[in-house]
Amino acid sequence: MLTLTVDFARRFARNRAALVGFVLVVVVIGVAVAAPWMFPRNPLRIVGRPEIWPFVNPRYPLGTDSLGRDIAAMIAYGARTTLLIGLCASLTATIIGITVGATAAYFGGWVDEVLMRFTELFQTIPNLIFVLTIVSILGQKIEYVTIAVGIVSWNPIARLTRAEFLSLRDREFVQACRAMGMGNLRIMFGEILPNALPPVIVLSSLVIAGAVLFESAVSFLGLGDPNVSSWGRLIGDGRTLIRTSWYICAVPGVAIMLTVLALNLVGDGLNDALNPKLRDR
Amino acid sequence: MNRFSRRDFLMTSAGAALATRLIDPARADVEAPKRGGTLIATWGGLEPQSLFVPAGGGSSPYFTSTKVHERLLRFTVDLKFEPVLALEIKPAADFRSYTIKLRDGVTWHDGKPFTADDVVFNVMEYWKPISAGVSLDALESAEATDPLTVVLKFKAPVPEFFLKSVLAGKSGLIIPKHIYAGSNIITNPINNTPVGTGPFKVKEWVRGSHVEYLRNDKYWNPSLPYLDRLVIRWWRDPASRSAAFEAGQLDIGTFNPIPIPDIDRLAKGGKIIAETKGYSNSAWVATIEFNQRREIFNKREVRQALMQAIDRQFIADTIFFGRAQPSVGAIHSSNSIFFTKDVQDYPFDSKKAAKLLDAAGYPVKGGSRFKLNLVSAGWFEENEKIGQYIKQAFEDIDITVDLVVPDRATSLKRIYTDYDYDVAISNNSGSVELIPSTTEFYTTDGIVKGAAFRNATGYSNPKLDEVVARMAVETDERKRIALAGDFDRLASSEAPLLPLVDLEPVTIARSDVRNHSTTADFMGESWAELWLDR
Repeated sequence: MLTLTVDFARRFARNRAALVGFVLVVVVIGVAVAAPWMFPRNPLRIVGRPEIWPFVNPRYPLGTDSLGRDIAAMIAYGARTTLLIGLCASLTATIIGITVGATAAYFGGWVDEVLMRFTELFQTIPNLIFVLTIVSILGQKIEYVTIAVGIVSWNPIARLTRAEFLSLRDREFVQACRAMGMGNLRIMFGEILPNALPPVIVLSSLVIAGAVLFESAVSFLGLGDPNVSSWGRLIGDGRTLIRTSWYICAVPGVAIMLTVLALNLVGDGLNDALNPKLRDR
Repeated sequence: MNRFSRRDFLMTSAGAALATRLIDPARADVEAPKRGGTLIATWGGLEPQSLFVPAGGGSSPYFTSTKVHERLLRFTVDLKFEPVLALEIKPAADFRSYTIKLRDGVTWHDGKPFTADDVVFNVMEYWKPISAGVSLDALESAEATDPLTVVLKFKAPVPEFFLKSVLAGKSGLIIPKHIYAGSNIITNPINNTPVGTGPFKVKEWVRGSHVEYLRNDKYWNPSLPYLDRLVIRWWRDPASRSAAFEAGQLDIGTFNPIPIPDIDRLAKGGKIIAETKGYSNSAWVATIEFNQRREIFNKREVRQALMQAIDRQFIADTIFFGRAQPSVGAIHSSNSIFFTKDVQDYPFDSKKAAKLLDAAGYPVKGGSRFKLNLVSAGWFEENEKIGQYIKQAFEDIDITVDLVVPDRATSLKRIYTDYDYDVAISNNSGSVELIPSTTEFYTTDGIVKGAAFRNATGYSNPKLDEVVARMAVETDERKRIALAGDFDRLASSEAPLLPLVDLEPVTIARSDVRNHSTTADFMGESWAELWLDR
C-alpha cells in the first residue's frame, strides 16, 4: 500500500503544473481552515471606512468594500463557502452520476434506454439557467445552491461511468463473479466500480472547479445566500463601483481564477497518475 | 475700464451663460424648442410587470403608463396645480361638490372623443374602487351635466388641496371607458398596450428590453409633443446605465439611474448633468416594516427598540454616499406643507435598544434573544446593503437574523401578498398630500392583500384611523396641518413601519435634453414638452 501511494505521488509530481496546482489548492484549503483564527470576527461585519484600497491600511491588507467590510476576511471565509459548495456539489454529482451510469450499463436494455434519455434531457438544458431556476424556486440558501450545482453537473459523470462499465461488464472476472453467485449490487460496486473509478475521479475533480464557477455566477447575480460570505457575491457587490474601486471585484476575481486553475491542474495531474496507459511515458 | 479686453468680456459672458445653465438647467430653454428626434430614457429600477397597472404597482409601471394616460391636473415644482385634461375644477361653497370643466377637442389614441362620460366612468369604476381607494371614500356620485362638465358630489366636505392632489396624483390616471367598460380593469390585457389621450402612443413592448412609443400626431395641443419617438429601455444594473450614458446610448434616466459614486465623475465633463428637481411630489424613502402578524413585532416596545438599534446616519452616508438623510417621523422632510420635527425620534443607541428588549421580555438566552427573517426587497441595489447593515445592527443586540434579498417579483409577493417576512426593507414614494399615499401604509383600510405598496404590516389602530378620517374631511388648511402632525406623532411612536432614510433622488440627463424636471413628479409626467437640442 505504501509503495503504491509513493508510486502515485511520484507519477503525480512528474507533472510540474499539477504540483503547482496542488500547492495552490492546499493553500486555499489552509486559508479556509484557518479563517476563524485569522479573522475571529464575523467576516460580514462592518469594521472600517468604506472603500479603503488594498495595501494602504495594514489592518485591512486587501482593503474594505463599499460598506467597510474587511475584504481579506471575506476572502478567507469565502474560501470555505467556495470549497464546501465545490466539494459537496461534486460529491452529489458523482453519486448521482455513478448510480445512473452504472445501472444503465450493467442492466442494459430498456433500463439503459430510459436512463440515458433521462441523462440527455438534462444535457440539453443550459446549465447556468437550470441552476438559477432551481435556486429561485428553492430559495437563497447555500444548501440549495449546492444541490442545484450537483443536479446540473452529474450527466458527464454518468456517461463516463456507463462507458467504463460497458467495457468491463462482460470481462472474465465479472463472469467469474456471476458464476460464484454474487449479487448484482456486489458485482457492480464491489468488483466493477473500483476498476472504473480512476477516470471518474478525474472528472469529479473538474466538477469541483465547475461548481466554484457556478456558485460565483449565482452569487454575482444576487441569488446566493446573503448570510454567508462568498467570492461571487463580493464581485457582484463591487460591480457598481468598478469604475472607481475596481479592486473590490478584482481581488475575489483573482481568487476564483487561481482556485479554478489549480483544480484543473490537479485534475490533469490525477489523470496522469491514474491512467495506466500514461504510466511509463 | 479700457483694460477690460475683448477676451475678458468673452470669458465673463461665457461664464455667466455656463452659470445659468448650472444653476437651472431646466430653464435653459429660452431658445425655441426643436421638434423631432428620439429620446432614450430609463429609470433607476427594472422592467414593470405590465405597462399599466391599474391598482398601482409601483414606479416602474407608473413611469411607462404616464406617457400614455393623462390626468386632469398636474403639480408644478412650486406645488401649484396646472390644468391638463381639465380646464378648471371648482369647489362649491360647502366643499361637498366640485365642478370639473373639461378640455375640448381631446381624442383617444384610437380616434374616439374624450368626454365627460369617460371621466364619470373613471371616477366611479376605476378611481373609487381600485386606484384611489380610501381617498374617494366620501364620494357619493359623479354626473356628466354636459359633454364637457362633470359634477362630483360628496357625503362630507372634501378639502380642495386634497382632491386636487388626488386628481394630479398617481391614482388619477384617466383610462378610456369604451375599452374598459364591462371588463375587469385590473386584468384587461389592454394594460400591456394602453390606449390613452397622452402625447405618446405605444408602438411595441419588447419584453426584457424596451418599450417604444411614437408621437401622437393628434395630441390635443397641436405643438406638442416635441419628440418623434420615445424609448424606455431597462438596464439591469446601475453600472451598465452609467456605461450607456458614456456610450451615448442613453439620454435621460430618472430616479438614481447610475451608481452614486459615478454621478460626479459623469457630470464633470459638462455633457451630462445631474438634476435633483422634479421629485417633490414623489418623495422617496427606504422603509423598515415590522410584520404585526408575528407576536414579537406586535409589541410596540420591540419595534421601538429595534428602531433605536439602527444607525440611520450610517445608511445615509455610506450606502447612499450622502444623497439621503435620516428620516424624522413618517413624513419626508422635503414636504414643505406637512413635515414636522415634533415627533418621537429614534437616535442610534444599541445599548438602550438592548435594555428596551430586556424590559420587553426578550432577554438573551443561549446567545440570542430571538430569530427573525429579514426580507430586503431586491429592486434597488442599496436595499441589499441596507439589509446587510441591519442584519449586523440587529446581531449587535443579540438577535439572530436570516437575511434574504429576493428579486423584484418575489419581493413584491413575499412582502405585499404572502406577508411572508418578520422584518422587511422596502421603499415607497409619497406625494405632498398625505392621504392616501402616506397614510395607507398605516391605516386599517390600507390592508389589501396583494396590493403592492400599501399597509403590508397588518397594523390596525382605530385611533390612527380616526385621525386620518378627520383629516380627509377637514377643509381648513391650518387644521389639516395640525391633524397631519397628530398622524405623524402616532405613526412615529407606534412604528409599525417607518422610513429609515429620506432619499434625494437624482435625474441624470445629457445636456442636450431640454425642458425636463419641470414638474413636481417629473418621472410620472407625460414628457410632451421635453425636447432635444440636436
